[in-house]
Amino acid sequence: MKSITIEGIVNNERISTQNLLQSIQARIEEGYTDFEIHACGQHDIGGSSWAKDSSETLTFNITNPGQRVGAMARRGTKIVVHGSTPADVGWLNSGAEIIVKGDCGDTAAHCAASGNIYVSGRVGTRSGALMKFDPKFAPPEFWVLKNTGSFSFEFMGGGVAVICGFDCNDVDSVLGNRSCVGMVGGTIYCRGPIKGIASCVEITSLNQSDIEFLTNGMERFLTAIDQKGLKDTLLDFSEWNKIIPLSPDQKTKKIPVSEFHKNDWVEGGIFGDFIEDDYKVYELAATGDGRLQEPKWDSDKCVNCNLCITNCPQNAIAEDYSVNSDKCIGCSFCATVCPKQAWTMQNNNKEIS
Amino acid sequence: MAAVKVNELHLDDLPWIVEYDETKCIQCGKCVAACSFQAIKPAIEQRKKSGSVTEKNKLEKVIVIKQNISFEHHCRGCGMCTMVCPNGALKVKRNMESQYSVRYRAEKGESIKKGGRSNLNTEGRTLDKIKVGRISQMTDPSLDAVRHTFELKTPFGRVLSADKLNFKTEGDKIIEDTPLPPNNWIYPIIMGDMSIGAVSWRMWEAMAIATGYLNEVMGIPVRMCTGEGGIPSRLLKSKYVKYMILQIASGHFGWNRIIDAMPDMIEDPAGILIKIGQGAKPGDGGMLMANKVAKYVQEIRGVPKADLLSPPTHQGLYSIEESVQKMFLSMNAAFNFRVPVAIKVASSATSVSVYNNLLRDPYNIVGGFFLDGLAAGTGAAHEISLNHTGHPITSKLRDCYLAAVHQGRQGEIPIFAGGGLGQTGSFAADAFKLICLGANGVFSGRLLLEIAGCVGNDTEKCNACNTGLCPAGIASQDVCLTKRLDIDKVAQNLVNYFVATDFELRKLMAATGCSSLPIGRSDALITVDKNVADRLEIQYVC
Repeated sequence: MKSITIEGIVNNERISTQNLLQSIQARIEEGYTDFEIHACGQHDIGGSSWAKDSSETLTFNITNPGQRVGAMARRGTKIVVHGSTPADVGWLNSGAEIIVKGDCGDTAAHCAASGNIYVSGRVGTRSGALMKFDPKFAPPEFWVLKNTGSFSFEFMGGGVAVICGFDCNDVDSVLGNRSCVGMVGGTIYCRGPIKGIASCVEITSLNQSDIEFLTNGMERFLTAIDQKGLKDTLLDFSEWNKIIPLSPDQKTKKIPVSEFHKNDWVEGGIFGDFIEDDYKVYELAATGDGRLQEPKWDSDKCVNCNLCITNCPQNAIAEDYSVNSDKCIGCSFCATVCPKQAWTMQNNNKEIS
Repeated sequence: MAAVKVNELHLDDLPWIVEYDETKCIQCGKCVAACSFQAIKPAIEQRKKSGSVTEKNKLEKVIVIKQNISFEHHCRGCGMCTMVCPNGALKVKRNMESQYSVRYRAEKGESIKKGGRSNLNTEGRTLDKIKVGRISQMTDPSLDAVRHTFELKTPFGRVLSADKLNFKTEGDKIIEDTPLPPNNWIYPIIMGDMSIGAVSWRMWEAMAIATGYLNEVMGIPVRMCTGEGGIPSRLLKSKYVKYMILQIASGHFGWNRIIDAMPDMIEDPAGILIKIGQGAKPGDGGMLMANKVAKYVQEIRGVPKADLLSPPTHQGLYSIEESVQKMFLSMNAAFNFRVPVAIKVASSATSVSVYNNLLRDPYNIVGGFFLDGLAAGTGAAHEISLNHTGHPITSKLRDCYLAAVHQGRQGEIPIFAGGGLGQTGSFAADAFKLICLGANGVFSGRLLLEIAGCVGNDTEKCNACNTGLCPAGIASQDVCLTKRLDIDKVAQNLVNYFVATDFELRKLMAATGCSSLPIGRSDALITVDKNVADRLEIQYVC
């Protein structure tokens, strides 16, 4: 293991991100694997690189980094930030272990797809957004000792986040406000109060495998951030919740309007005190009371030729010329074929009573 | 019988021809039974026996379906016969040779009355020449219509400008100390004002149920304007009245019941709308033909069965100032100044004068300005009004908004625009564009009819709401026809349409980077029509 220290300020002048990253890369090419970086706000430290010997691990111990520490970092990389870091820690993390011994800025673990991110403080707004899980790789894990800012876990598609809610007594939601908007996958475990969470997720209690995961993971996490003493405090599972996305079926579940009409609407209908309506729905060519016209038979004019009976499309006229109103649709064929006008059609334009 | 003299009404005079294919007809009679206009009938025709040489003059009788040729029972093109025919034996075709509108006037000596909407559309729609062209890409935070939250609410009620607010200090706190006029924050799309009578009780209740559902289940704060045909006491006394904007028009129908119900009302209504005029028939009052004045309509309106022609103006009002003093004051007083009061006028060359006058309202009692354009719908109107009067909504809305802008008073009296919105099927697109041009919100009634199953269109199809013979049971008071309407299905469809529209509105807001309503954000709009660009003061593009 070859170690080296790289300075972000050389001869009292801050070196550029490009120069710093290129000098790290040059050392990697020379076989160095253990880096101590005294940064001065340079971005993207620890990302998209790999040891020359693939069996070795690249290690970065960083102070005072800029944004996107561990951005696009690969498996076989371990990054420890001594102190707090600005935004985008572990952006697109693809397998590195990233430990932040302090707070993180916004969008920590944004788009993390594998690897573990351990934070010993708080993380900012939109943290955990778009985390994902590709089954060919281990799922990403994002452990935070304290809490997140608002809008966290937006569009989350996979992986596991654990928000431990430590030192959050004055906080009314350990996930801030409006978190989990658009979350479609993954699991968030969190300890402490949650408020204003998006409607596309559900909050459930832990099952046995959740408890096993948290018990085992907590050991790793607390070791990584040097806080092993908190184990008993954090493993009181009565204080934990689990957040998972609703399935598409659950999301669209709304009562039909007919149920609302039946159960919640003004009883008996708003016209119920002066209109009698059975809410029956008539077909276009309705029978019975739904007929727009009704045939009337005049026995004095009838010559018993039975043309009406034979031509009635609905077979609604009996031998005694009575009309079966359950069959008759008021088509007026009887009146049309009758040679003696014994059948007349009467408009059935009834008004509601 | 076919016409035998040239001056008799004949088939070719009628606006619609029912094409009948005898070979497909099984003579089930359903088409005749379904036709609410009695425009078709069974008839006996004679046919020569086919192929007979020996029986040269023998004829046989067959039953066929024929069209009625009369002013009273002519085909309106609604297509119920086509819908109900099991074999596709009937098709309704527009008759390009029709002389009906000349024949009717010549024969009857009276104006043609219609329902529905204008059928003389020669100009095209300005709104369709406008696109949403300012897309948020890197300039504003990009938003996601599905997942982000949007504030889709607009004020209904008088908004005071900052210089009219008084502040005082109380200890170390600054406290706003002005009696504020009532204001309700509502969804920017209002269900337009259609009266009980103009539409069937089932249609009206379906709209009310949909409004209740949208508010209580979906959390979409849509308000419904009642129209002026009275309001059922049960609704007034229910909690749902808080979603209703009560209308008073020149007929003043049904207000006695509202006044009677007041002590028993557990909620205030959402607002009051004074209807002065409407876009479909500007200058006319309401019109309800006697055949729709059913018994319950008579009761609720306090009138006998007769053609109900409301006066074209409110009879006690002679000027804009007087309207403000008398009408606004009375309607504000009705609910002890707790309920915002707005006014609705037909879009007109004079609209800006009216709006400017209202803006000077010294009592802070003018809570909204509804401007209704010429493509709006109506239950009944003279064809001459429908087709030849009115003013498009788009430029007039813009004029009114800019008039306020030039005085630094935009938003003080919210403007709501309407008139044929949703004509292309998308209410959201029309709403968004009008909001960008300065509307606080929009309203439509005729679109609701179409959602409910109205088969009419802007090219003469059906448009027979005035007859009371609405084949869909929407604009009818006939029991048989009204019962064709499935109240739950209509309410559900209304809800679905609003849910879809709500999403589409958010789609446009997201694309333009707006998480709240872009009222007056005309920079979001572009047009390839230079005249439109100049007139509306929006960006011309090519």
